[in-house]
Amino acid sequence: MFSRLKKKFKYWQLMSKANQEKNSPPRKEKIPESTSELKEKLRQVFAECDDFRLREIIVGEKKFKLNIAFVDNLISRQAFNDNLLKPLMDPHLTALLPADNQDKIIAYLKENILNLAEIKEQTDFKESVQNILNGESVIYIEGSSTALVASIKGWEARTVQEPQTETVVRGPREGFVEDLGVNCALIRRKIRNPNLKMELRKIGQKTGTNICLCYLKGIADEELINEVKKRISQINIDAVLESGYLEEMIEDNPFTFFPLIGNSEKPDIVAGKILEGRVAIVCDGTPFALTVPYLFLETLQASEDYYTRSITSSILRILRLVSLFISLLLPGLYVAFLNFHQAALPLNFLLTIAASREGVPFSPFTEALFMGLTFEILQEAGIRMPRPIGQAISIVGALVIGEASVRAGLVSDPMVIVTAITAISTFILPPLQRMLPYFRLIFIILANILGLLGMVLGLIAIITHMCALRSFGVPYLTPFAPSSPLDMKDTLFRFPHWLMFTRPRALTWQETGRAKYRIDLASSIKNKTNLENRKKMKNDLAKNREG
Amino acid sequence: MIRDTRISGYQLSLLMMSFIFGSSAIVAPAATAGQDAWLAFILGWLGGLLLMWLYVTIYLDNPSRTLIEILRICFGKYLGSVLALLYIAYFLHLASFVFRDYGEYLTLTTYTLTPIAFTIGCFALLVAYCLKKGLEVTGRAAEILIPYLFIVAIIVFLTLIPEYELKNLTPILENGFAPVADSSLRVLTFPFGETVIFLMIFPALYSARKVERIAFLSVSIMGFTLLSITVREVLSLGPDLLIRLVFPPSISTELTPKIQFDPLIAVNLLLGGWIKITVCLYAAVVGITQLLGLDDYRHFVLPAAILAVGLSLWTFNNIFELMHISQKLYYYYVIPFQVIIPVFILVITKLKKVFKAK
Repeated sequence: MFSRLKKKFKYWQLMSKANQEKNSPPRKEKIPESTSELKEKLRQVFAECDDFRLREIIVGEKKFKLNIAFVDNLISRQAFNDNLLKPLMDPHLTALLPADNQDKIIAYLKENILNLAEIKEQTDFKESVQNILNGESVIYIEGSSTALVASIKGWEARTVQEPQTETVVRGPREGFVEDLGVNCALIRRKIRNPNLKMELRKIGQKTGTNICLCYLKGIADEELINEVKKRISQINIDAVLESGYLEEMIEDNPFTFFPLIGNSEKPDIVAGKILEGRVAIVCDGTPFALTVPYLFLETLQASEDYYTRSITSSILRILRLVSLFISLLLPGLYVAFLNFHQAALPLNFLLTIAASREGVPFSPFTEALFMGLTFEILQEAGIRMPRPIGQAISIVGALVIGEASVRAGLVSDPMVIVTAITAISTFILPPLQRMLPYFRLIFIILANILGLLGMVLGLIAIITHMCALRSFGVPYLTPFAPSSPLDMKDTLFRFPHWLMFTRPRALTWQETGRAKYRIDLASSIKNKTNLENRKKMKNDLAKNREG
Repeated sequence: MIRDTRISGYQLSLLMMSFIFGSSAIVAPAATAGQDAWLAFILGWLGGLLLMWLYVTIYLDNPSRTLIEILRICFGKYLGSVLALLYIAYFLHLASFVFRDYGEYLTLTTYTLTPIAFTIGCFALLVAYCLKKGLEVTGRAAEILIPYLFIVAIIVFLTLIPEYELKNLTPILENGFAPVADSSLRVLTFPFGETVIFLMIFPALYSARKVERIAFLSVSIMGFTLLSITVREVLSLGPDLLIRLVFPPSISTELTPKIQFDPLIAVNLLLGGWIKITVCLYAAVVGITQLLGLDDYRHFVLPAAILAVGLSLWTFNNIFELMHISQKLYYYYVIPFQVIIPVFILVITKLKKVFKAK
């Protein structure tokens, strides 16, 4: 059945590719030289677009007609007036405009009159329309098939704020915004290096959304970069409104619960990942940047780990792993132990549980399902609900479901505790938050069927599944499996920064020759000798003073 | 497909160790020797190292060839194919043995009401899934899961310390050397001799030169772990109980003060048995594919798993039959596969080399 689907899929892909090729090399369209023809054409394109503006001005003694086209509210009026209109309409400036040669006029306008940071020439009409839609102003010159594109974008946008999804106690508080340019600048400000490459692409046939590939040349794997470019170039989609669209189009395995592409709202996290040799994809219109390849390990890492002391952050990492297991297994374990392995529990503990379960009409399995479902509903309601009504959720959740169901004897106390601990543990791992409930459910069912053994069967199956996953060619569980001891320095323990000699082996590209990864040992030894020299100097100074 | 499979040395050693550990987790090896079980086990272990030397030498003489190909080279196309078929049947039979061991243990200790076919079937599904994903993926999963095996072994060994009684070791050689020798022969065939199956897996190793080191290291480490388990059982249960019990570890863990580790032992059995059956079925399906000159072994995974499950349910009527066969008859049955044919292979390859040199 699946092979049939696969064949169909392939057929669709081929068809869409053929269509694309049919549509592709878009024919160039010349910009009409006469004003009336141009106006007619623009009017055709922008028919019924009431936010489209065409400003006609007459410049210089020779009375050249210039048509400035732009979309209202996408440009900054202030800059438009000061930097575009003012110099063009100033008779002192335009007096020296060369007489007849159009090329000279364009050069003169560019070089002497327009005081703008970015200005470029455009010869294709369709492209110029695209420029207008991007928020640039296009200056059409009468009698010339070349237009000038002036970038005076300016629209209402959110300022850089602290992101709500990834809060930190220590660390930078700025977050990405919805504007691509600002986001790229935020990354560039972290990594001041010409090797940080930023490649712009346009995706989405209807929306024409800009995206930007950011990577550090020389550190990111060349093959990885090519793979990302290849996958992005194959995207054939109408609209990209959020980076989630891209994520779904380029990920390795669409039929898995595990996140295979990372996303982050914080420039420092993205910069850190780029420095480790990953490729970031910043998408216009969303504060969430994607990073590939994404390893399972990253769900346990937090940006703060690198800003606080290594010992504390190592302990926190282990805590996160423990909470992962709690949120995955605890309800299942509860069911398994109560159903099958009562003897394995210490007697007093068992008695306490039995006492609180007395009179509860449902089996542990039903209880676990009921409480899990309730919690998921509460959580989803809490997210979707308008802020002012949020209070109601906590009252309903805490009082009605927690307290009342226990008092009514429908749910036992231990089950409420189990659900609460599970829920809280889930929030420690934001990237996995959305998939954990399903696995929890699987484990509860397996625990009810085969007890602990069923759970271990499930665990083995899930781990095998994870081992089979790859994110852009990198095994998902690197560096645990396949294990690479050198990369263990940043896994469950975060080694101090001065002990991290090598970059992650699975990600980085060799700099020269055969070396698969670069050891920065040499430089660290140099630092050491510097230290020794300094010590020597200090000693000498002290001796001199004594003498 | 088969040639593409590549596993690292660490993965191979983990596979070998958990293969040897396999169902030995629940049946204390050399239990029939009573208080001298440790001595019998050590003898068997030394024999196991010798057998390992035999297999590794065979592999190094025929580098990057599986057992099926080696058999065909040594015995010619027809006899070789017949022997290969026998080996494949043996691998499937071995898988069914482990399935039944696992099912019986669970039915006897924890899941008394669950039908044995269901527990075995669930397990078989898991194994089939792992095999479909390939040996590489299974090797990677082993990297994460198998260290747990040793942790449990250490925990159980340490928590039982209060129950140990040194007088359980005496009298040494009460009934002479015969029972010890008999028991050590059993240890030799189960679990050490079964490593003949790795002749099917050695070709998947990345760096073939490491085979020797990895094989001996894993047999030594696992031998040591199993020795600790044997000593644990003898010290905590005493010889009388040890000889009579079917699954000694499940009883000895119940002796732990205040807590019961029985589920942990079952989990250990599951982990070891998972790798053991996966390796057995992998060897069987790869053997079939090579015998038929095909390319992809994945088509045979599910049929082979179902066949092994069926065998495990049909060959034995009850647990006593299983114990009787595995204790009394098993080693007559396997010695040709584990010792005699490999020795023939070794002799033939050496002779061929000598003749070629001339």
